[in-house]
Amino acid sequence: MALEPIPSAPILSTREDAQAPKKKKIKTTKVVNGVDTEVEIEVDDVPTVAWPERSKLRVLNHDIPRVDGPDKVSGAARYTHDVRLPGMVYAQILVSPLPRAKVVKLDVEAARKVKGVVHVLVIQGESTGWLGDPVAAVAAETLEAAQDGLRALAPKFEALPWSVDHETATKSGAPAVTKNGNLGKPETDGDETKARAALQASPTRVKATYQVPIQHHACLETHGVVVDYRGGTEATVYCSTQYTHGFAAEAAEVLGLPASSVTGINEHMGGGFGSKFGMDKQGQVACQIAKELKRPVHLMLGRREEFLMSGNRSGGIQTIEAGCEADGKFTGFLVQAFKHGGLGRGSLAALPYCYSAAEHYRSVQSVRMHLDANRAMRAPGSPQASFPMESIVDELAYAAGIDLVAIRKRNLPRDASWQRQLDRAAREIGWADHPHKTKPGPALGTECIGIGFGVSAWGGGGADECEVEVRIERDGSVVTACGSQDLGTGTRTYMAAITAEEFGLPVAAVAARLGNSRLGNSVASGGSVTTASLAPAVKDAAAKARVAFATHLAAVLGLPGDGFRFEPEGILHDGAKAPTAMSWKKACGTLPAEGLRANGRWVESLASRGVNCTQAARVAVDPGTGRVLVLHMVCVQEVGLPLNRLALRSQIQGGMIQALGYAISEGRVIDPVLGIQLNPNFEDYKVPHALEIPRMTAIIDDEDTRQGVIGVGEPPVIPGAGAIANAVHNACGARVRELPITPDKVLQALGKVV
Amino acid sequence: MKSFRLVNPTTLDEAIDFASDRAAGSSKFLAGGQDLLTEMKEHLSGPDRVVNLKSIPGLDALDSSGGSLRIGALTTLSRIERDAAVRAHWTALAEAAHSVASPQIRTCGTIGGNLCQRPRCWYYRLEEANCLKKGGTECFSYGGLNKYNAILGGGPTYIVHPSDLAPALVALGAEIVLRSKSGERRMPLEKFYVLPADGDVTKETVLADGEIVTEIVVPKPAAGTRSTYVKFKERESYDFALSAVGASVVLEGGKVAAARLCLGAVAPVPWRVERAEKVLVGRVLDETAAREAANEALRGAEPLSQNAYKVPLTKTLVERALLALAR
Repeated sequence: MALEPIPSAPILSTREDAQAPKKKKIKTTKVVNGVDTEVEIEVDDVPTVAWPERSKLRVLNHDIPRVDGPDKVSGAARYTHDVRLPGMVYAQILVSPLPRAKVVKLDVEAARKVKGVVHVLVIQGESTGWLGDPVAAVAAETLEAAQDGLRALAPKFEALPWSVDHETATKSGAPAVTKNGNLGKPETDGDETKARAALQASPTRVKATYQVPIQHHACLETHGVVVDYRGGTEATVYCSTQYTHGFAAEAAEVLGLPASSVTGINEHMGGGFGSKFGMDKQGQVACQIAKELKRPVHLMLGRREEFLMSGNRSGGIQTIEAGCEADGKFTGFLVQAFKHGGLGRGSLAALPYCYSAAEHYRSVQSVRMHLDANRAMRAPGSPQASFPMESIVDELAYAAGIDLVAIRKRNLPRDASWQRQLDRAAREIGWADHPHKTKPGPALGTECIGIGFGVSAWGGGGADECEVEVRIERDGSVVTACGSQDLGTGTRTYMAAITAEEFGLPVAAVAARLGNSRLGNSVASGGSVTTASLAPAVKDAAAKARVAFATHLAAVLGLPGDGFRFEPEGILHDGAKAPTAMSWKKACGTLPAEGLRANGRWVESLASRGVNCTQAARVAVDPGTGRVLVLHMVCVQEVGLPLNRLALRSQIQGGMIQALGYAISEGRVIDPVLGIQLNPNFEDYKVPHALEIPRMTAIIDDEDTRQGVIGVGEPPVIPGAGAIANAVHNACGARVRELPITPDKVLQALGKVV
Repeated sequence: MKSFRLVNPTTLDEAIDFASDRAAGSSKFLAGGQDLLTEMKEHLSGPDRVVNLKSIPGLDALDSSGGSLRIGALTTLSRIERDAAVRAHWTALAEAAHSVASPQIRTCGTIGGNLCQRPRCWYYRLEEANCLKKGGTECFSYGGLNKYNAILGGGPTYIVHPSDLAPALVALGAEIVLRSKSGERRMPLEKFYVLPADGDVTKETVLADGEIVTEIVVPKPAAGTRSTYVKFKERESYDFALSAVGASVVLEGGKVAAARLCLGAVAPVPWRVERAEKVLVGRVLDETAAREAANEALRGAEPLSQNAYKVPLTKTLVERALLALAR
């Protein structure tokens, strides 16, 4: 086993200590509220460390079972919800049951009199501006007493006019969310005249309107925090968050403490998907109550409040007109889009998304409503763009009589990895033997089989924000530490695995510590930036620790420092005449009492960015009932250098499942007259369960040979809904242009509803 | 959830006494708790006393030794779906029990609770919508989002009855036994349910205060009987029906000698369709007969603004149920 070159960089130095190296400018990712944006930064122009060749990796690029798996399945893993502290009180929040209302009555005295209630906080006693707007909070000795306290407030609301649907919000004189009304200024791109002319000249043209609902993040662990403040100068916040350091800093501000005095702890969390970057109103309220009572406060949102006030993926309506040549080449492309992001602006990737047309014009407007603002959600704006885009690609293909794979390849860059990915996905899904390539199958029998495709892209690059420490103790124990968080994606596992790889150790021999703001700084986990930001810093720290250890052993053993190899059988030295392995434990025993520590920072050359992804879906549609049964989903995705192939496939599968829910069953339902959400629970908001999960083939595109790590969580959630919608149409001719594709809509599209 | 007092009677009479003692406040019987507890959490029900029936021995008998099937009200759904005699002779019931919710819920949920469960209409289930069913003045589903609501028998409320077991049991000709302070009464199961237009809109059954379901009796099937329950859910893993059909036919010499058909999730009560049954009698159970019966079953359907799809859907289910019995 050859050893990778040992860098000659100064041992145990942080970058600040090193001599000023040459600098260069690179493009990288900066995440703002989960949306990754490209920025230019300056970094050292000295490659200090590199990933070994893939074939030489012993731990990485293999399937590594997650190190916290046993804790999670046994219940040993402690989530924020599980935290119980001496003297702790439970707080609950009353939210506005109407989109806009005057608060007429709030019986604070009655709430205070409820047995066990210790504090009543009026958040806003005058009026509310959106459905789910927090009104008051009650803290009590038990959760039940807090809930009883909220009811004792016996709130009375007087409805004010609201806009919670597109039709109402866009009417003239509609109840307005902003001073300038509900309809945002159109953001346009392209030349409308040229696009229209190109369309006019096209032999094939189609026009259609597509609609997507508001999707919920549906985190199994609701938003919340346990604030441990008992007076004094220190506090700890247990937070279910995608940004442990940021959360602690926000809490410090509300508690009136220096940021350095507040520790954020987030050992495990039950999902974020972009909705958990900040502490939000409930976090502020918990800190306010803790500050007031000088007692620990447990405030986790209830499920209904979670649905109403913790953000969402914006919905929208898009009308698209598109044309193509006889060979399928897109000519003109016109889009008019409206985004439904509640109080927010909504999010929508630019169409024609991954494809290009000779001429395009788009106009995108926000439609504001009295609902909670949209937030980042796994690939913000992209599934909303992909579903209509992939649908119109198929509609054009059928109109022009072109194979569904061929038209995609024709309109994606010739040198893009989508070309090979489409071939692979087509092969895996069985496209060659499928009978309906240029027109949909007939709606006959009970099981019409259809196939659909979709493509996506994401950045997933890293940034220099993580500080990692690798520690080796005299007893042989090893720790990789960074304050980052593991959203369930496997961060903890690769933190251990990268260090294990470096020292020839099993993964279990390395402990990974994270989820604590006292540890090194970390990037906020959104936009698929965590791995590309953190893994290079772990590698940097581990490599520095290895060099330092070799230098130490050289001095102890009187051997040259550059000949050491750290292998599973022990530590070897190439220069020794008769090499015998020294055991890891024995070698560590030679360390001084304080052991060995090395710090790592981001190394640009260890990360890459830019991922393409292609999916295919095979469905069975029952034209008698409208049932869509997704039989098989295939995803072929670039990942850069694979760290943990098992975790990568899991991420891809999770993305496909979330896309499946978006496609066939999920969506917020609001009654526009009553102004209430009709499905704020997991009975009526239908996420896929076990029987909905199809066969899933998650393929790591190993033709992507970049030796840099990339985040991969977003791409697989994007193309699935479009692929499924297309497969439904391909199966039986039911073109459903509004998600989710439920049986009623399929029957309607088949003309069976009279 | 409102605080309550839990009482644990050891006899049926004691339970009825507890529930009839108005001076002690309102009462609810607790069986498997799968519906009652969700109602209490959502503040749709706030009894002062919860009368636990599980402390009474002998209410969970399942006995087919006498030819007919006697099922104690506290028998769990999972026991019914697994019982070999039920599966062999009262197949529709076993299939219906199996189709309910999730294994966890079927392990706790009982047949009595399933038959007495309250509607799932989302307006009814949300405390903030003070609908007709909850004593308000308007059925919001009528002019609102009514995709899941009734296409038959609706008005003035348009809920659908959510029980899976009820349509199967009606198709099997089951009877229900009720007991109260004034004694025992027994009736065909379809008479147990009341349309909103025919009674108190806040109730779905004839069950009086303090009255309790004790037993279900399903007659011994005639020779040549076949039965099935076909349920269509929006989400296969865990969901209430969008539409369902319980069907039972007696085949003699290749022809239908008798038939019973009952639709689920399309009306405020399990919706027996006797005219469709008549279409079948004396005929070979083929595609034409099945289609005619399906058309007859849905005759008179009056869909609301968003649930017309239930008409073709239910026709499909009726046809498929009947053709499955012909095979």
